Amino acid sequence: MNTMGDGHQESAGERTLFMPPIRQPAEVRPAAPDPAAEHDADPPEAEATQDPGGEDVDAEDVADEDIADEDAGDVAEHDDEAGDDDGPDGPGVAEDAAEAPEVDEAPEVEDHADTEDQADGEATEVAEDAAEAVPEKGQDAPAQAVREEALPKEAAQRLGVALDALRLSVADLRFGLDLPGAEEARQARDDLLAQLRDYVLPRVRTSTAPALIVVAGSTGAGKSTLVNSLAEKNISRTGVRRPTTGTPVLACHPDDLPWFSSGELLGGLTRIEKPTPETGLDSLVVVSTEKLPQGVALLDTPDIDSVVEEHHDVAHRMLDAADLWIFVTTAARYADAPAWKLLRLAKERGARLGIVLSRVQPRARDVVLKHFVRMLTEYGLGDADRFVVNEATVTDGRLPDSEVTDLRLWLAELSVDEERRALAVRETLDGVLDSFRTRVPELARQLEEQVAFRNELRTDVEAAYLGALSDIERATKNGSLVNGEVLARWQDFTGSGELTRALQVRRRGKAAKQTPERIQAFRTAIRTGLESLIAAAANRASEEVVARWRHRAELGGLLGAGLERPSDELARRANRAIAAWQEHVTELVRTEGVAKRSISKIVSFDADSLALIFMVAMFSGGSVEGVPHKLVNALLGAESLRGIGAKALSDLRARIGVLFDEESMRYVQALDAAGIPDESAATRLYQATYNLEVAR
Amino acid sequence: MTAVTTTGRPGLGPRLNSLSKIVELGPGRLDEKLLTESGALLLRAGDRLKLSSEHTVVALAGGTGSGKSTLFNAVSGLELSPTGVRRPTTARTHACVWGLDGAAPLLDWLQVQWRHRFARASALDKGESRLHGLILLDLPDHDSIRALTDNEADRLIGLADLVVWVLDPQKYADASTHRRYVTDLAGHEAVTVFALNQSDRLSHEELAELVIDLNDLLKREGVAQPTVVPTSAVSGRGIDSLKSVIADAVSRRRAAIQRLDADLDRLTRRLAETSPVGEAPANVDAARRVGLTDALCDAVGVPALGEAMENIYAERSGRWVGWPYPRWIAKFRPDPLKSLKLDEMQVVTGRITAQPAEVVNAVQALADGLTGGMTDVWRTGLHHAARSRAGQLPQALTEELAEVAPELDRVPGWWRALKAWQYTLVAAFFLGLVWLGVGLTAGDSLPSALAVLGDTAALPWVGVMMASVLGLGALSAVASRNFVVLGASRERERLEREMRRRVGVVAESMVVEPVERELTRHNEFAAAMRGLTG
Repeated sequence: MNTMGDGHQESAGERTLFMPPIRQPAEVRPAAPDPAAEHDADPPEAEATQDPGGEDVDAEDVADEDIADEDAGDVAEHDDEAGDDDGPDGPGVAEDAAEAPEVDEAPEVEDHADTEDQADGEATEVAEDAAEAVPEKGQDAPAQAVREEALPKEAAQRLGVALDALRLSVADLRFGLDLPGAEEARQARDDLLAQLRDYVLPRVRTSTAPALIVVAGSTGAGKSTLVNSLAEKNISRTGVRRPTTGTPVLACHPDDLPWFSSGELLGGLTRIEKPTPETGLDSLVVVSTEKLPQGVALLDTPDIDSVVEEHHDVAHRMLDAADLWIFVTTAARYADAPAWKLLRLAKERGARLGIVLSRVQPRARDVVLKHFVRMLTEYGLGDADRFVVNEATVTDGRLPDSEVTDLRLWLAELSVDEERRALAVRETLDGVLDSFRTRVPELARQLEEQVAFRNELRTDVEAAYLGALSDIERATKNGSLVNGEVLARWQDFTGSGELTRALQVRRRGKAAKQTPERIQAFRTAIRTGLESLIAAAANRASEEVVARWRHRAELGGLLGAGLERPSDELARRANRAIAAWQEHVTELVRTEGVAKRSISKIVSFDADSLALIFMVAMFSGGSVEGVPHKLVNALLGAESLRGIGAKALSDLRARIGVLFDEESMRYVQALDAAGIPDESAATRLYQATYNLEVAR
Repeated sequence: MTAVTTTGRPGLGPRLNSLSKIVELGPGRLDEKLLTESGALLLRAGDRLKLSSEHTVVALAGGTGSGKSTLFNAVSGLELSPTGVRRPTTARTHACVWGLDGAAPLLDWLQVQWRHRFARASALDKGESRLHGLILLDLPDHDSIRALTDNEADRLIGLADLVVWVLDPQKYADASTHRRYVTDLAGHEAVTVFALNQSDRLSHEELAELVIDLNDLLKREGVAQPTVVPTSAVSGRGIDSLKSVIADAVSRRRAAIQRLDADLDRLTRRLAETSPVGEAPANVDAARRVGLTDALCDAVGVPALGEAMENIYAERSGRWVGWPYPRWIAKFRPDPLKSLKLDEMQVVTGRITAQPAEVVNAVQALADGLTGGMTDVWRTGLHHAARSRAGQLPQALTEELAEVAPELDRVPGWWRALKAWQYTLVAAFFLGLVWLGVGLTAGDSLPSALAVLGDTAALPWVGVMMASVLGLGALSAVASRNFVVLGASRERERLEREMRRRVGVVAESMVVEPVERELTRHNEFAAAMRGLTG
């Protein structure tokens, strides 16, 4: 069997450690009763130790029903299997496993299994390797919060646990914001989850399971015809209509049927026996045939390039669950872009690949084949197993037997040579696990992008309203408030003798309570000025937020829809806030504005009027020839004036700050409504990926 | 655009004019990509209509291996385009022209290389005259890995007048053909033909089934009446039907127009989807203008100014036209301002300014009122237009109103006259007082020249005179004060009217004009969109 040229450097060392004990039993006991049961020396231990582990997870993590269900099924099945088709050393292990619900016993079981199974020098290596990893496991455990007890030192189990943890953290991912790439990330997450559930977890738990060979390719390439011919049975519909196959069809040896019908592999699909016109894409037709050798199953998939795009997804899902890929293309299609996209994917995933070039006209065979092989070599796929099927008359949905002899031989070899099959299975699994190194961080990156995007939008809101606040601050200091009506009222107030009267008359009794109309109007003018200042600033800020959001991404524009204007309540709130502030300033002047002793002998003043003069002085910032300033300065004294001034200004700032906080809450709410990405999820993903690497 | 308008073809010309209007008004208001596409279509239409209308460009398009080149050779009857089994075979477009006159510029425009151009002199071919004016293009494929880096097929599918999609039994349902082109070209039925090639590979029943399936598929994708021609370049079956379909299009010489019409339809649909146009008033109506002026007057504080002027006049006039006696008495009371040493301050300025924030809000309110029915992007545009000069508006208002600012320290002549009159009366009063004093004290000792002063009989009359002088002073003070108030309120009315007028003028030039320009732009754009649809 050819090995794939590259993409496996990292796992090669691991494999040399891993493989020899696998071969050992096969050599020692060539006449094993059931090849499937012991073709791999690791699995029996893996199964045995998996079980208590599985129960453990059950017990600890009741919250997650998914796991509980899966593991429960898992346990039951393994118990069965261990009891039924045990190898020479099977019973002991199985019994132990069955009797060992307490975890304390698990390590014992472990040692037992190790010594019995692998009385080989290399077994110690494995054990050492496993032992080394134990402390690391201890670190992982709290992060996963799945279990706390001591763990059995078993590679497969550790892998299973790490994968489970990865699955949980991937399942937790939510990409709420529709940023560019979010849809892809959601798709990638679903693919990853489906692959973990459909393929990786079942495969890790039960590496003795038969190999699944997925037949994929373009529409009209003859996938169904090929499967029918190999199975010597019309199991998949063929025809001229494109696309032909809608429901995936799985063909296997009758002995392998229980495994494939059990539903662990490709768990999401409903098993049916015969395709009907109504069956959708979420079903899997499982058919058994004596003509296929044991240990290998063929899966006929929908196409990857027809106009029915749902087919592409199903085909990719099937490929994600494949142990080996058979890629079918034709002499007319071998240069199609979708085909090469799939081949590139196979290469990236490091999947074991067989390539079938079908519908080749015999007279064009040499030219086409030469060209195709050159293209494959250019793509780095020159060493994949290749088969050529000539254009031949298809009778009853099948090719003449002579055309598929090579393929049949290849399958038979895989069936008989367990070592080779195990190697192929292991390679593809390694390839998939390798692909997690890039696929999972990719998801984490997208998540981080979402978090960053959300933070950016929040920063925009804060910046806009901070800007609005500082606008207001500037306007209250540069004298622009003392313009228009406020200025007119001030002139009215001073020029018409009201000022003198305010300073002179010590009002008593009823008169003191009545505020003259003119003072009332003056007060209103100041309030209106402040209110429009707030309205203008809030308007600017809200527009700016939406403009910035829109500028950042299309999504920003969508989120900001309907928020381009300040809220309707702003005017009312601002009115109340400013009125309250004016009261506050009057109160300040009344209580803290103790006049200088020298002045109080000559002048009495009315707090209402003085508060107004004070406000004008505060806002004029040097304009109006400084009269109000000199006036209040003379009346109150510089020190007391500074005190009141600082208090009044900070009070105003605080009140407007509250108003703007309420305004900016609307944007935060809009953001929250779109979904809050979990910042810690990315970290958990990285952690889970790291744990997986450690477990491998 | 002259080429378009002078061709005088109904329908397409006006629509292209609308499109050019849209391209002209669109920047900043239309999606960048659509705008580019609109510009490109306009350019392409102009180019195509300028070039030979005697020729019809027919392109054979399809996936790799569907037999485009073989079909090309079969239709032209010559082995012009190399065929083969290696995929992809054709990398460059080949062209065959029936009737060469005037075709060269068209082929240049299509960017078909010289060495790939072939000519069929139709006069020499019996029975081929119906194809006179045909330019047949054999395109490279659009779906092989080579096509990923080469957009030749894409480009020519976009330029050809009539596209023949060459499909084959293996690939007829490929997503690369359907999703990328056919769905996109819904509405192009008149200028799209589907040739189901390699029909020799199928049995009769299979072919029938396949044609039905293909028809269904195309209908599902929005091609209402697909033209499907089964062909076989190898056996020659169906080539004649294909030829006659092509010949039909060639002889009608309408394909170029139909193609552009269909492209325009498609663009129009997308424009209407992505950039819907809302409703906007044609101009800023009187009520809105008044509203804006009112709001700006409030920002300037016109009513408060009038009130202040009135009050200040009334206060100051007291010093001139009032009864002097109470004033003198008031002077004995302590003046707080004086005691604070602030009495010298010039507190009254008469300056007219505007509150910037209120000006901004006034402009905003106007824009808000106008943009109710507009779409987002136009609304933003109008707000920008309205605000374009709002920054200078307060300054402009101050300058404009400086001339009419009331002179608060002005002293009218009649105030002085009345003051003189009051002092005359005061003098008369004191004169009477002296008379009375002298008459009562000196009595007869007065010299004869002043004897009249001592006339005791006159004294009561003097007393009466003094009383009436006092009364007259008080009366005239009251009367003139009333006159002052009356004059001030009349002055106030005049002032407010004048200020309002001037504010209106400023608002017109600095706010209303830019807003109306933007409204015009919006409505022209909307009209162009309607013209494009209609």
